[in-house]
Amino acid sequence: MTEAHCALDMRGITKTFPGVKALSNVNFKVKFGTVHAVVGENGAGKSTLMKVLNGTYAPTSGTIHIADKEVRMRRPADAQALGIRMVHQEINLVPDLSVAENVFLGRMPGRMGYLHRSEMIARTTAILEELGAVVKPRERLGDLSISQQQLVEIAKAYAANPRIIVLDEPTSSLSDHETAALFRILRKMRDDGIAIIYISHRVKEVLQIADEVTVLRDGAMIETRPISGITSAEMIRLMVGRDVSNVFPKTPATVGEPVLKVENISDGVHFRDVSFEVRAGEILGLTGLVGAGRTEVAQTIFGLSKLVEGKVSLNGRTLSIATPADAVRAGIAYVPEDRKGDGIIPEMTIRENISLPILRKLSRIGRISGSADRALAGKYVKQFAISPPDGERRINLLSGGNQQKAVIAKWLAAKPSVLILDEPTRGVDVGAKAEIHNIIGRLVGEGMAVLMISSELPEVMGVCDRVVVMRDGRASAPLSREELSEEKIMTLATDEEAA
Amino acid sequence: MSDLVAAAESMKKTERFTRANWVAELASRAGLLIAILAVIAYGSIANPAFFSTGNFVNVLTSMSIVGIVVVGMTFVLVVGGLADLSVPATIACGAILSLGLQPMIGPVPAFVVAIALAGVIGMLNGALVGYAGVNPIIATLGVGTVGLGIVQAAVGGVIVYGTNPASAELVKGRILGIPTVVIIFAVIALIGHFILSRSYWGRWTTATGGNYSAAQASAVPVRAVKAGAFVITGIAAGISGGLLGLTLQSARPLVGTGYEFSAITAVVVGGVSIMGGFGSVPRAIAGLIFVQLLTNVMVLEGVRTPVQGFVLGILIAGAVGMDAALRKRGGG
Repeated sequence: MTEAHCALDMRGITKTFPGVKALSNVNFKVKFGTVHAVVGENGAGKSTLMKVLNGTYAPTSGTIHIADKEVRMRRPADAQALGIRMVHQEINLVPDLSVAENVFLGRMPGRMGYLHRSEMIARTTAILEELGAVVKPRERLGDLSISQQQLVEIAKAYAANPRIIVLDEPTSSLSDHETAALFRILRKMRDDGIAIIYISHRVKEVLQIADEVTVLRDGAMIETRPISGITSAEMIRLMVGRDVSNVFPKTPATVGEPVLKVENISDGVHFRDVSFEVRAGEILGLTGLVGAGRTEVAQTIFGLSKLVEGKVSLNGRTLSIATPADAVRAGIAYVPEDRKGDGIIPEMTIRENISLPILRKLSRIGRISGSADRALAGKYVKQFAISPPDGERRINLLSGGNQQKAVIAKWLAAKPSVLILDEPTRGVDVGAKAEIHNIIGRLVGEGMAVLMISSELPEVMGVCDRVVVMRDGRASAPLSREELSEEKIMTLATDEEAA
Repeated sequence: MSDLVAAAESMKKTERFTRANWVAELASRAGLLIAILAVIAYGSIANPAFFSTGNFVNVLTSMSIVGIVVVGMTFVLVVGGLADLSVPATIACGAILSLGLQPMIGPVPAFVVAIALAGVIGMLNGALVGYAGVNPIIATLGVGTVGLGIVQAAVGGVIVYGTNPASAELVKGRILGIPTVVIIFAVIALIGHFILSRSYWGRWTTATGGNYSAAQASAVPVRAVKAGAFVITGIAAGISGGLLGLTLQSARPLVGTGYEFSAITAVVVGGVSIMGGFGSVPRAIAGLIFVQLLTNVMVLEGVRTPVQGFVLGILIAGAVGMDAALRKRGGG
């Protein structure tokens, strides 16, 4: 490269997974001694790009240059050898070891198996001091607060003398005060000449800390700009800026009485004081950034986690739900976000999966009625056009979209009065997505109350009648269809003042 | 011989994780059957004593006692409960109580009390594993040891002898030429098969073992289902122990030693996944028949005991290893 200070230059990076183009011809350049922010919606391709950078994924095409030299990385160890360090959103340390041991994990100073403990402690002390972190090297890591652990994570990356540090949503668990401390450390590292890549949803923080910002959207690089040349409104527009055409046809339905009502509910950890109601024949959208507490709200309503405060009522009756079985009895159904983890029993057939929640109703004196079981599966396989149309297929042999249809069928069989869908179209192809939206539309037309969690703004805007936006465990007032705009949702989801 | 087993096993397991193809399905079911027939063929050629009614009745009888445990153990593996190591203690419990209580309350009540107490041991295991989330290996080992200690202390002596010859005669006798224990085993196997494959409890058991959190999210009472598998095994081991005691007319605390290993070997060789979510009683019993016949042939051929153990050890390690490898490959 002609520029002498180019730490990283990714050119024409494309990454495809079977059926999905995760990154398409992305050019991304970072200079030494700068903080370079990468922003974008959920699913814009930020984490895929970083996984290409740290050697987890090999790009389908494109080249990577580090300090002006072309490199090839096959595994994360290659990236580390080149001086690239990642600080992940989740803490990746050993709680039972000391701070110093964690900082030097895998690279402890010593010779022939003998550990130079004093040297390790001295060097850790020096690094922590340099970073201005108030943590003692001998402390057990597990005794530290999350934010202190995060600092140790950063110290660990720093101790390896990296040329490039990638921070993935580093402030998601930090308070304002701690964030300020983190920023001091980042500026210090920047002044040492390290290239810092800062991934964040938070527009306000990006404006504070970054020198340059790159916006990704739908797997493509939209723009790189110096931070001085951009406002927060512009950044949000660039992140969202897609045509909200009518990809999601809205089936008209008559909205009736409130069915599910939650009042000031809290789980004590992930969300507090959340209130909303879902009416018959209505789809209420629940959106926000990943980690805002949406899934936790749904799981609490469904009895998968504990309700600490507040009230949940269904058709005017206050519920006390301790387990999913209670919720199902009350008439609540939940299609979980993690289909593989919580949705399907992979080695069972479509039929066995669909009848699972209502097996007892299909049984007499303990014995499952084979004909009722088959009839139920047959009905939904046909109604939802599940492919292949054979209830005896093992469900893990189906495509994601068809698995999801089967999971929705499973819950409709239980005849709920409210259906909660958590990211119902994540990871399914476009065709299946439309089919799933059609199914939801039909249900609502029949008077079902639907609560739909989705991160995908076009989906939220296209399908939902009203939308509640969550940010850091708090819910906004519902927005009606007339009030909806992507800018408005993103602002509510990211901006502290607006919420 | 073990090559053949390996081939049969691999046929079956590969099918399970790749395609629902009926040809492969048939091959998978036939795999163990072929292995069993091969053992029979080899045994018949190698030793004239093998292919005789007397020998088969012997094999069947000795198989029945452990077979009852196999039925219960299948539930434990399918539900994802790894294994129940309290079996030797529960068997001893069943044997000692059903003999030791005879003079006090009579043979039938003694047998019933023995089974009930075995069920209590199963409930303790189930509470620890299902509700408290203790590792099954540790929980069942601990409960078994404690249970055995209590029974020993209560009975007082080290070896207990039977005092009711009539009950011994009944258990050792035959009905229509078939040994009573074999009939009892067959009935229990049928009940176990019905519960696992046809009842909602069985479907819940498979679902819980297949994906615990998805089953939970589908309103399956996962904790109770997990605990239930241990109760079933406890009761099965109690019946097994009671019959063993009545057959031997004596019971010492170590009478059940090795039964847990035999049962686990049979279930695993039968292709029931030790990771849960897959398996049936007929499969486990096919595994049991194979292992028993193999052992029988080895005994008849004068294979030394250490070598027999060696073969069975390799068999179980191979079956579990294959399950793990295939699960990893086809897991996604």
